[in-house]
Amino acid sequence: MLNCRTLSSLMLAFGATLAVTAAWATSPPASQAPAAKPAEEAKRSTSTADHSKFKELQRSFTSGPEVTRACLTCHTEAAKQVHRTKHWTWEFLNPESGQRLGKKNIINNFCTAIPSNYAFCTACHVGYGWKDQNFDFKSQANVDCLVCHDTTDKYRKLPGWAGHPPYRDTEFPPHSGKIVKAVDLKTIAQNVGKTSRETCGSCHFYGGGGDGVKHGDMDSSLANPGKYLDVHMSPETHNFTCGTCHVTSSHDVPGSRYTPTAVTRAVPMRGKESDANPATCEACHTDKPHSLKGAEVKEHAAKLDDHTVKLACQTCHIPQFARGHVPTKLLWDWSTAGKLDKDGKPFVVLGSNKRPLYDSKKGDARYDTHVIPEYIWFNGMVNYTLRGEKLDPDKVVKINSFEGSPTDGKSKIWPVKVFHGKQPYDKQSLSLLIPHTFGTDEYAFWKHFDWPKALEAGMKAVDENFSGEYGFVATEMTWPITHMVAPKDDALRCTQCHSKFGRLQAVQGIYMPGRDGNRVLSFLGGWAALLALIGVLVHGALRIWSNRKGG
Amino acid sequence: MWKVIGGFVGGIVLTGVVGWLMMPSMMFTERESPFDMEETVARIQQNVQETGNGWELSGLRNPARAIQRDGGNVLPVMMVEACSTKYSKPILNDDSVRFLSILMPCKITVYKKNNGKVYIGTMNAGLMGKMFGPLVGEVMGEVAKDQVNFVKFDPSKPAPKMIEGVPGGDGKGGAAGGGRGC
Repeated sequence: MLNCRTLSSLMLAFGATLAVTAAWATSPPASQAPAAKPAEEAKRSTSTADHSKFKELQRSFTSGPEVTRACLTCHTEAAKQVHRTKHWTWEFLNPESGQRLGKKNIINNFCTAIPSNYAFCTACHVGYGWKDQNFDFKSQANVDCLVCHDTTDKYRKLPGWAGHPPYRDTEFPPHSGKIVKAVDLKTIAQNVGKTSRETCGSCHFYGGGGDGVKHGDMDSSLANPGKYLDVHMSPETHNFTCGTCHVTSSHDVPGSRYTPTAVTRAVPMRGKESDANPATCEACHTDKPHSLKGAEVKEHAAKLDDHTVKLACQTCHIPQFARGHVPTKLLWDWSTAGKLDKDGKPFVVLGSNKRPLYDSKKGDARYDTHVIPEYIWFNGMVNYTLRGEKLDPDKVVKINSFEGSPTDGKSKIWPVKVFHGKQPYDKQSLSLLIPHTFGTDEYAFWKHFDWPKALEAGMKAVDENFSGEYGFVATEMTWPITHMVAPKDDALRCTQCHSKFGRLQAVQGIYMPGRDGNRVLSFLGGWAALLALIGVLVHGALRIWSNRKGG
Repeated sequence: MWKVIGGFVGGIVLTGVVGWLMMPSMMFTERESPFDMEETVARIQQNVQETGNGWELSGLRNPARAIQRDGGNVLPVMMVEACSTKYSKPILNDDSVRFLSILMPCKITVYKKNNGKVYIGTMNAGLMGKMFGPLVGEVMGEVAKDQVNFVKFDPSKPAPKMIEGVPGGDGKGGAAGGGRGC
């Protein structure tokens, strides 16, 4: 039974704690972070050119390609440079695996694939007019300069417009009653500048069909992040743009999810030709970052530095992703798509976090914020399950497999987002299928919700057969987590990994104090320590006794 | 004689230690939620509104936001605040126990832990009430009964919208006054 007095004193302590908690919780709110972009920032531009003074830009434009032609009168080599990049080709040949990758070739478990859906997906292409397989990749005028160099934040490309912005006021989405204003090409062209978080984010924040859907560590909250969200990109701290790390030369942006840098072997040096990736933590912080500065206890810093051999910086310094209150998608189940309401219309069921739990067009979904990453060994090699590759429908198909092991000498433990899906496959050929989703034609799934027709059209677009028999197979896709770096005080604590049920619980092949142990060894060690203590005590006692006896 | 006194003192100390160790689990309960943060909060809010007995939502606090404004991170935590004048009035009418207004409004906290799971924390209103005499004991006993309903979920019901238009629900971390219920 509890003693009443004890309870009373505990209650007082409890009350006091509550009071403190209440005081803390009601502390006057500071201004809502992040801070708005200062007006002077634009004035501080370091550009040596005022584009509004250029004769070529002092006219009206009726289309994007017209603007590009004007840009090319001065920037004569720009389009040719863009033509060589993945941003333009949407294609990448992995030199190590020999796999032909890129958006043009892979099937993912989000919207699946671009063939037959070009006009929708190419809203994020750095070009104009990619509406089918006949797109002219050699046309310089088709390069979209404005999508990356707009500084007005008013340039917008709409899904379904094959990479073009709206040239007239347009109801979008169709039948929604919402009007998207026509872009003012002249004003935008006269105000071009360096890329920014907003311009890169206009596509990369919205990958997979919505804000934060795909990556988890990139969403619209990074456009103007608070210090808590990204210690590098926040205007409150270093105000990095994407280009600060992804140092770009000749329009070729380094850093690729097809060949990520898992372990930094070399860092770029000014004045020296190098193909080293500048967008790694080590490129600035070195591989011994903790002892460089600010370490109060040298031994502790050295111990932390020891960890960099096996741990990616991101493992400790990005404790969760989707921390900016934009939910990221974690599940996409195409197998349930196509249900209609009693009037035969598609419908959406929103969850409490205002994201769809169900959408007739896309099926079941799950979203969350502040997601704890999964952790894997990763050596930078990624293998994709490509179109035509055989799959086992009874197993989870890995859209991409991250290679790595504790013993290959090339791997580190990385945080990743694992995205789960269910998507169509051909029951006869046992390979992934491409659905034709977008369009107003009779085959478009989002219009008619007819899987066989949509799959037939999708496969026809890549000149491949569809047997007519389809099912849905469980898939998963892995994404490395590397953005949303938290302030150093919020890095993982030792015990968050060095404990029985810690973050690295599932990571095999490494001995971790606090997590791993051998019962027999612990038993023997315990007894050895106890016996040693007894021995010391007995020895000491005998010394005292013999000393007294002798004296 | 010394043995008796020693035993008595030892007994008190032992009781104190046991009480101290057991107190957290007796005073507070923690359970895992089958839903994500927002849905858990929304379902609790819905339950509060459906419980009757004068219960109304009086706030939704988000202390994690306050920490973010200071540039730091903690895992999400949200506190649903609810109050019923039916229960608050008798306590606030009695000078001897008015200090218990510090416990108002009734709070249910929803938080995520490092294992990625969402938990619900509640206070054992019934047990606490018993420590402050018959009036408070009776009132808090009723509160405890209703509190059970707040965290009883029916997964077959669709996920409700999280109500953010209550003080603190704007995610600014704190709220004061103006709340309904109390």
